[in-house]
Amino acid sequence: MDVFFEFVVRGLVISSPIAFASLGGVFSEKCGIINIALEGIMLVTTFAIVWGALSTGSFLGGLLFAIIAGVVMAGIHAVVTITFKVDQIVSGVAINLLAVGVGRFLSQNIYGQETQSPFNTFVPPEFLGINIMAWILIPVTALVWFVLFKTKFGLRLRSVGENPEAADTLGINVILMQYSGVLLSGVMCALAATVLFPSQWVTGMTGGRGYIALAAMIFGRWHPVGAVAASLLFGYADTFRVMFERQIPIPAQFVQMLPYVLAVVVLALFVGRAYGPAAVGKPYRKGGE
Amino acid sequence: MPLLRMENITKVFPGVVANDGVSFDLQAGEVHALVGENGAGKTTLMKILYGLYGPDKGGIFINGQETSISGPRNAIDQGIGMVHQHFMLVPVFSVLDNIILGEERESTPKLLQRLYLDKRSLRARIAELMERNHLETDLDRPVRELPVGVQQRVEILKLLFRGAEVLVFDEPTAVLTPQEIEGLSRTFRELTAQGKGIVFISHKLDEVLQVADRITVIRRGKIIETMPREGATKAKIADLMVGKPVLLKVDNPQAEPKEEVLRVEHLTAADDRGAMVLSDLSLAVHAGEIVGIAGVEGNGQTELIRTIAEREKIISGEVYLKGENITSWDVRERREAGIAHIPEDRHRYGLLLSFSLADNMVLGRHHRPPFVGPIGWRKTKAIREFARSTIAAYDIRTPGETTPAHALSGGNQQKVIIAREMSADPILLLASQPTRGVDIGATEFIYKQIVEAKLQGRAVLLVSADLDEILSLSDRVCVMYKGKIVYEVARDQATKEQIGFYMMGAEHGDDNE
Repeated sequence: MDVFFEFVVRGLVISSPIAFASLGGVFSEKCGIINIALEGIMLVTTFAIVWGALSTGSFLGGLLFAIIAGVVMAGIHAVVTITFKVDQIVSGVAINLLAVGVGRFLSQNIYGQETQSPFNTFVPPEFLGINIMAWILIPVTALVWFVLFKTKFGLRLRSVGENPEAADTLGINVILMQYSGVLLSGVMCALAATVLFPSQWVTGMTGGRGYIALAAMIFGRWHPVGAVAASLLFGYADTFRVMFERQIPIPAQFVQMLPYVLAVVVLALFVGRAYGPAAVGKPYRKGGE
Repeated sequence: MPLLRMENITKVFPGVVANDGVSFDLQAGEVHALVGENGAGKTTLMKILYGLYGPDKGGIFINGQETSISGPRNAIDQGIGMVHQHFMLVPVFSVLDNIILGEERESTPKLLQRLYLDKRSLRARIAELMERNHLETDLDRPVRELPVGVQQRVEILKLLFRGAEVLVFDEPTAVLTPQEIEGLSRTFRELTAQGKGIVFISHKLDEVLQVADRITVIRRGKIIETMPREGATKAKIADLMVGKPVLLKVDNPQAEPKEEVLRVEHLTAADDRGAMVLSDLSLAVHAGEIVGIAGVEGNGQTELIRTIAEREKIISGEVYLKGENITSWDVRERREAGIAHIPEDRHRYGLLLSFSLADNMVLGRHHRPPFVGPIGWRKTKAIREFARSTIAAYDIRTPGETTPAHALSGGNQQKVIIAREMSADPILLLASQPTRGVDIGATEFIYKQIVEAKLQGRAVLLVSADLDEILSLSDRVCVMYKGKIVYEVARDQATKEQIGFYMMGAEHGDDNE
């Protein structure tokens, strides 16, 4: 495989979990709920996919487990922030902390070891030399765009993130829309897990990708295509590091910082003041107050 | 048979009877005005009609049928729609999306067609609706780019699209120019000609007399009187509203301007998106005069006041106070030099809502004797004494000086701000929308204070969206349009129509629309 082709496909593998998670972020924030729990949700879905695959003996079983895990974890965030109107950042942080424990607890109980699962061979098939789920990112991005901008559901979901009071007076079920957005972000985190590392779960393996995904979502201005494009930028920066860090005559630690430095620089310099959904982060209470 | 009848509505909140046996009806094809002071119970009555509150007693009848209304959505399903004071629009959505939102469902058998948002047929229906009611708007423009008057049109279209027969307008003219108000009353006539009924809630008695067929006055939760327009006068309605005769005409003696206090020269500024908000604006205000800035909101008035009151980022220009260049001074330096500021948004910039009245009243002077001791501790006793005497002097209705500011009514909150600013003995008073959302009683008080400030030899710069207010207080009127002063006129030569034309951006006052 020539180097360029290898760069392209490996980059896609590295980028797509970030991209799936950033689509999850878009779903959640478009309906007005900040979701910094992406990291924690992904941590649990990555365990669930291995667990499901090993227990059912198929990749699809793993995917099913991952989706259920994603929906359950996102569901906690939804109940806490939408029904009980707890501060969305606080809930997100709590879920991220909880997720670390959930992964270890399940692993200890199921596999007798806290930090890693056994090896899983029921992984997605390959296409052009890489995990097929990385390619699936492309139609999923198009689908998310279609759902958000070309369907009635999408129009309602977005209206709730912009002006929930107006949506409410028009008979739109604000609570239902917000739950839908947050739960869909859980499903997106499950898709992220299909590429992240489905052959074995290791604790802490998400390594901050959930946060990078949030940066990508903001850089992409809350637009699904923008968020995915930003994820690819960050992902390919990381790929560059992976492939070429040995050939660059500076300490590896600096090269490893590249995607994170890039994220900070891009957010600080190029995004300027980004305007997200107007009502994001504000719990909706009927009739004001 | 009336289109709508509300009978014997009673609604009690803890400590207040908001509606006390209120009966109200609306005929097809009429405009029925509901007038009353803030807190008189208009809003409660309309919220009951809109299903936001359930009445404790009483019934609602539509076309003679008793009904109950469970919420805004249910209200509109029963043909009752409301244009809120603060528009219920999604600013980033197009006009079309705003109109169809929540009303997009169409019955087609195929699943994909049910999911997909097909805007073509909806667009055709709306185009027809716009034509029939003469409410043309560009369906593809984002709402946030539209002038307020057009946004209001979008709200009306939203209701008509949902088949509203009863339209409730809550203070619809507060943000409109005289020309837009004229357009709105034309729309009222179109709608009533089609047999729809309109409830018109307003403080502005001139407009009420102009558009209403019947007028109902509500005070302290009770209907005082319902009268036909014929025979109703401003003075009579105002009397009924407050229960005591009010002075609507402000006693405002001719100004005797003395030395120049404020001068701004060639101010140019852009907002954070790069759009020009002030462009080469120059202005002077003298001691002992009130200069009124008229204009549709969003034409740079906010930025002008901010540039004078605090150190704002500007592209070029200078601000002088008594001949001294203060452009680079910070807020504290400016306040100590004698600038007082009644901000347009009293909740955000005027008060610390959760702090006590006493603390709010010393804000800006809280760091200086007599309110602090030698090494910086606060002298609570001095603060409270000062607050008590000021509360008495300005007739602020409050249980006490330790009451948090948010517990007061809007009018009393505004009095707190005025008391604080005036007691600092300023040489320049900046008053931005000083009576917004304030009832007639408090408005009268505030007008007196502003005129008093002038008579004491202070310079006053007044910004208001309320043209009547500008005309009754100002000695000179300046009209702002797109960051410039496009017209300046002395009080005795000012006419509402002329000013209105300039507010709309007309080059010459004698042009027609």
